[in-house]
Formats: sequence, C-alpha cells, structure tokens
Amino acid sequence: MTRLRLPKITLWRVLVGVIFAAGAWATYLRFVKGFEVATNMSNGQPWGIWVAVATLCGVGLSAGGFAIAGAVYLLGMERYRPVLRAAVIIAFLGYLSVVAGYAWELGLPWNFWHPLVMWNRSSVLFEVVWCIILYTMVLALEFSPALVERIPWAPVREWYLRWHHRILIALVLIGVLLSSLHQSFLGGLFIIFKGKMYPLWYSNYQTTLFYMSAIPAGMAMIIMALYLSVRSLNVRIDLRILDDFSRIITPILVIFALFRFADLYKQHALGYLFLPVEETAYFWLEMALFIAAPLVLFNLPRLRQQPIGLYWASAVLIAGFMVHRINVSITSLERATHAGYVPKWPEMAVTIMLVAAAVLAFRGAVLHLRIFPQTMQVAPPPLLLPRMTGQVFPARPSAAVN
Amino acid sequence: MKTKAMLIDITKCIGCRACEQICKEIHGFPQEHEPTLSATALTVVQERGDKFVRRMCMQCQDPACASACPVGALTKTAQGAVRYAGGKCIGCRYCMIACPFDVPKYEWSKLAPYVTKCDMCAERVLAGKPTACAEVCPVGATIFGDRDDLLAEAHKRIAENPAYVRKIYGEMEVGGTSVFFLSDVPFEELGFVTAPMTQPLPTLSAAALGEVPTVVLVGGSLLAGLYWFTQRRQQVAAAEAAEKEDKNVLRFRDKERS
Repeated sequence: MTRLRLPKITLWRVLVGVIFAAGAWATYLRFVKGFEVATNMSNGQPWGIWVAVATLCGVGLSAGGFAIAGAVYLLGMERYRPVLRAAVIIAFLGYLSVVAGYAWELGLPWNFWHPLVMWNRSSVLFEVVWCIILYTMVLALEFSPALVERIPWAPVREWYLRWHHRILIALVLIGVLLSSLHQSFLGGLFIIFKGKMYPLWYSNYQTTLFYMSAIPAGMAMIIMALYLSVRSLNVRIDLRILDDFSRIITPILVIFALFRFADLYKQHALGYLFLPVEETAYFWLEMALFIAAPLVLFNLPRLRQQPIGLYWASAVLIAGFMVHRINVSITSLERATHAGYVPKWPEMAVTIMLVAAAVLAFRGAVLHLRIFPQTMQVAPPPLLLPRMTGQVFPARPSAAVN
Repeated sequence: MKTKAMLIDITKCIGCRACEQICKEIHGFPQEHEPTLSATALTVVQERGDKFVRRMCMQCQDPACASACPVGALTKTAQGAVRYAGGKCIGCRYCMIACPFDVPKYEWSKLAPYVTKCDMCAERVLAGKPTACAEVCPVGATIFGDRDDLLAEAHKRIAENPAYVRKIYGEMEVGGTSVFFLSDVPFEELGFVTAPMTQPLPTLSAAALGEVPTVVLVGGSLLAGLYWFTQRRQQVAAAEAAEKEDKNVLRFRDKERS
C-alpha cells in the first residue's frame, strides 16, 4: 500500500510560500502594469531599493567570495579552506541574484545584452557591468568542481578537474582583481553626482569607501551563513573559524571609520555632522549600526566565545551596511530632488524574493553537493613507517580536504 | 555645420507659453501645461515672482548624461544637440541622476519606457531650420543661431545694458552648455541650479576610471608576487620538514641497527 505523503506544513515553508507568492504578484504588477503601479520610483528618485539593496548591498555582501578565495589560494591561509567552497557559492548566488534583479530593475530588460556590444568606456556603469558579468563567470568556474565531481563518468570528470586545477590560480587572481574593481566602482557611480548629493555622503573617494565597506560586510555574511549551516543543515565545521573572520572585521572597520571622517574633513563636511536635519539622523544611524555597534560587539570577549554572539554581531553589521548603501544612493539625493521616496511593497517583495531564492539555492547546494568537508577530522599526521615497509621517505600527507 | 545654440533672455519673456505649446504639438503630447519637465513636457515656462523662466535640456558641451550612459545612447552631436538613441537604451536611468540640471525624464507609466529630453529639434536643425520654440517666440526671448554668435550677442547685451546680471548662465556651468540664459535677477533667485562648478562632470569619473589600468597592473603584480611568496614559503617549509624527517628516519635506523 502506498500512501501519498504531503509535505509537512511548517512555519518556514509557509513563509517561503508567502514570499514567493508575493514576489510573483509583484512581478505581475511590474511587467503587466509597469513601474508606475509597481514602484514608487519617480523622476526625482529614478533609483529605488532595487539598486540600493538588490545591487549595491547584494554585490557588497558577496565580497566574502573573493576575500576568502584570495586568502586561501594567494596568501596560503590554508586554515580557511574548509569554508572556501561555501564562501564561493555564497558569492556566486549573490551575484546571480544581483544579475537576475536587473530583469525587474531595467526599464528595457530585453536590451540587457547591449553593454556587451555597445561600448561607452567613459561610463563607470559600463565598467561595473563588464566586471560583474566577468566575475560571475569566474565564480561559476571556481564553483564548477562541486558540480563536476558529481558526473559519474570518471574520464570526463578527471579531465575537467585536471584542467580546472591548472587554471585555478589564474582564475582566483583575476577574480580578486575584478572584484576589487567593481566593488570600488559601484561607489564610483556616485562621483558624477557632485552637487546633488548631501555633503555627508558625497566623496571623491567613494570608490575606496565602497571597497573598504564591502569586505567586513562580506565577512559578516559568511559568518551568518556558516552559523546557520551548522545550526540547521547539519554541517560540521569548527566554529572557531568564525572567530577568525571576526578578527579581520575590527581593523577594517576602524580604518574605514578613520578614512570616512578624514574624508568628511577634507570635503569640508564636518559642519554637517550635527545640523538639526533629517540627514543627520540617518548619518548617525549608519555610524551606530555599521561602525560603533559592531566594533563593540565583536570585541566583547563573552560574546565572541559563542558562535551565536558572532552571528548577531554580524547581523547588526549587515544592517548597518545596508543603511550605509541606502544612505549613499537614496537619502543623499533627497534634499536635491524632494522625491520623498519610500519603496512600494512590490519593490520590497521582489527584493525579498531574490534573497529567499539565493538562500534556498544555498541550502540545496549544501544538502546535495559537497560544499563543506565531510568530516571534521583532518587526516592524522603520517606515521613513520620505515620499519614496516622499508620506505626511506614516508608518504607526504596529501591535501586532507578537497 | 557650425555648433548651434539657443539664447534665452529672461528679461524679454512675457510668459505666453507658445514655446511649450509648439513643443508639445510637434511631439504629439497632450496640450495641458505641466509645472515641471516630464515625459510629455520637454520644455516648461515656470513663473518665478514676476519673471518667467524656461526650463529645458542645456545641451552641455561635455554632458554628464552621455558619459554616464553605459551603452552610449546619449551623444553630443557636432550640431550642438545632445541626442538620445532609444534603440540603444537599456533603461538603467543613470543619465537621469547624472544630469546636474535634472533634465532627462522617464516614461514611468509605459511598459517599454524610454528616456525623454529636448534634443534642440535636431532633425529640424539638420534640415536648416531653427528650433520650433525659437521660431514661434513672438518677442524674441528665445533665439537660435551659431553658438559663437549667440555668446557674442549675449556679451554685447550685458555690456550695453547695466540692468543685466553680469553673467551668462551656461557659458561656464559644467564646462559650458549650448543653451544660454540672460537675466536681470540673480539666477539663484530664479531656481537655477547654482551648484554646478565650471568643471565638466565627466572629468570626475574619468579621473576615477583612469585608475583602472593602475589597479590591474599594480594589483595583479602584487597578488602574483604574494602568491609566489606564499608558494615559496610553503616549499621551503615542506623541504625543511622533509629534511628533518629524513634525519629522523636515519636516526631511527641508526638506533635500530645499534
């Protein structure tokens, strides 16, 4: 007797259902009714949260991919290898969701391929588009062994993995360069808005600021993803690695904050720090969530000892990072444009759906591919075996994982 | 063809809005007056106190919109107009924010929305005619002609009449434009954007983009160097470890033998 088993209804499944239903309805509004019905974007604020969150935050939060790939392959930090694949797939899915988001964001999405053949090399956005496309391809290649090793046909599999191994270092190097370029040039997009942006956010060094803010955000993203993987996906890794990542965050945040204020001084914007206007509140909210709170939280010994402490500290940092990106792209323009932009629900629904899709894909990958090492145990150090085998040179330990 | 331009003398404008109407007519837009530029109003006449101020694309000499556009849909043409090629546009709307005068507007209500802005009647001008708004202006507040001639004319008017503000708006702004304004009231009181500096905005992003080759070369060599260094260190460490092991093995054997 076969019994039809319906999937169990859980809170999370209901939530996923609601997110995708709302996303589908929002998508209908966007493509059948148009921007005017689906969004609150206007001539005053032509970029809404699809740019501010889905792109600027999405790309920034994916920065962990190049940082960890670079650390492991170029700097030889082998202790991060167990989470390398996770970092790469988080970045890959992040970029995929950014690219997919442009189906909603672009006014004429069917022309998405135009930048590939119609070049304008004086455009910062042109530079960013190319870097993002190329880097997404690099990430796909970096990640590909996780899929290829599932191919049951050994000759193909081994042929591919051998080639992959040969070009891997070059790929990682190109990936770090491409990332550095477009992470910073996302900020470069705002350089041409001189005179329109509120002085607390305009900077000639927006490129540097975006680059420096992306790295802690990307690290925090990886901490959260790793913690959740361990908690709910039965992944077994040594959580002390999270503490390692958090150690990188503090110095970068300090340098970022120093640079930020030095830059405000140089742009003669220090006078705006305490003006009784709305922008001031947004500025200090950004400073509190992105700089002050993470610096305190990541340095509380009691909190650091527990992975969940690091998890929540990362969540605060990411919230602050999002405030930072939204401030640069939306808050800063409000005074010049008086657009009064607040996102409409379909804009939120599409953004949340993109995030949910990336999370589900990550979950699927962790459950069905070899993203994390299968065992916590690193192969024991080789025993000296000459007495038993007569070998002069004991076999070297081959790479224990991966 | 010499670079064309328009000169708008605010002291002469009587606010009849003939320019607005003819512009809407030739573009097939509904005739109602709109307070600001929109997808169906490429020029508007705004009331500022007892003055009337026309707003429209300034046709910058080095336009921020054209440098921002990732696909080069906006171009500064030899005739002076900044033209938009809708066929190239992807709808990213970067030009709208990049414009220091907030000129490009978007067809938000359409399913295939395009950017709209004044192109200084590019087709008419190519056919040897003046812009429609200049042609229709009953008092000569808007005149059309060669850019050099109009600049000379503007300077002449300022020199002859002390009532004018000693400034031609558009001569220096963001590196110069092809639409000039003369006024007897300070421009900031008339709602003109006074923030734009005399430097063309594209030079700002060009400076940032100029760093790309440096980043690639220096960054690339730095990373390659680091890779080489860590590899070498690992090799040395491995070799040293092997040496040590060998010694141990030998010692072990010696012990065995003895």
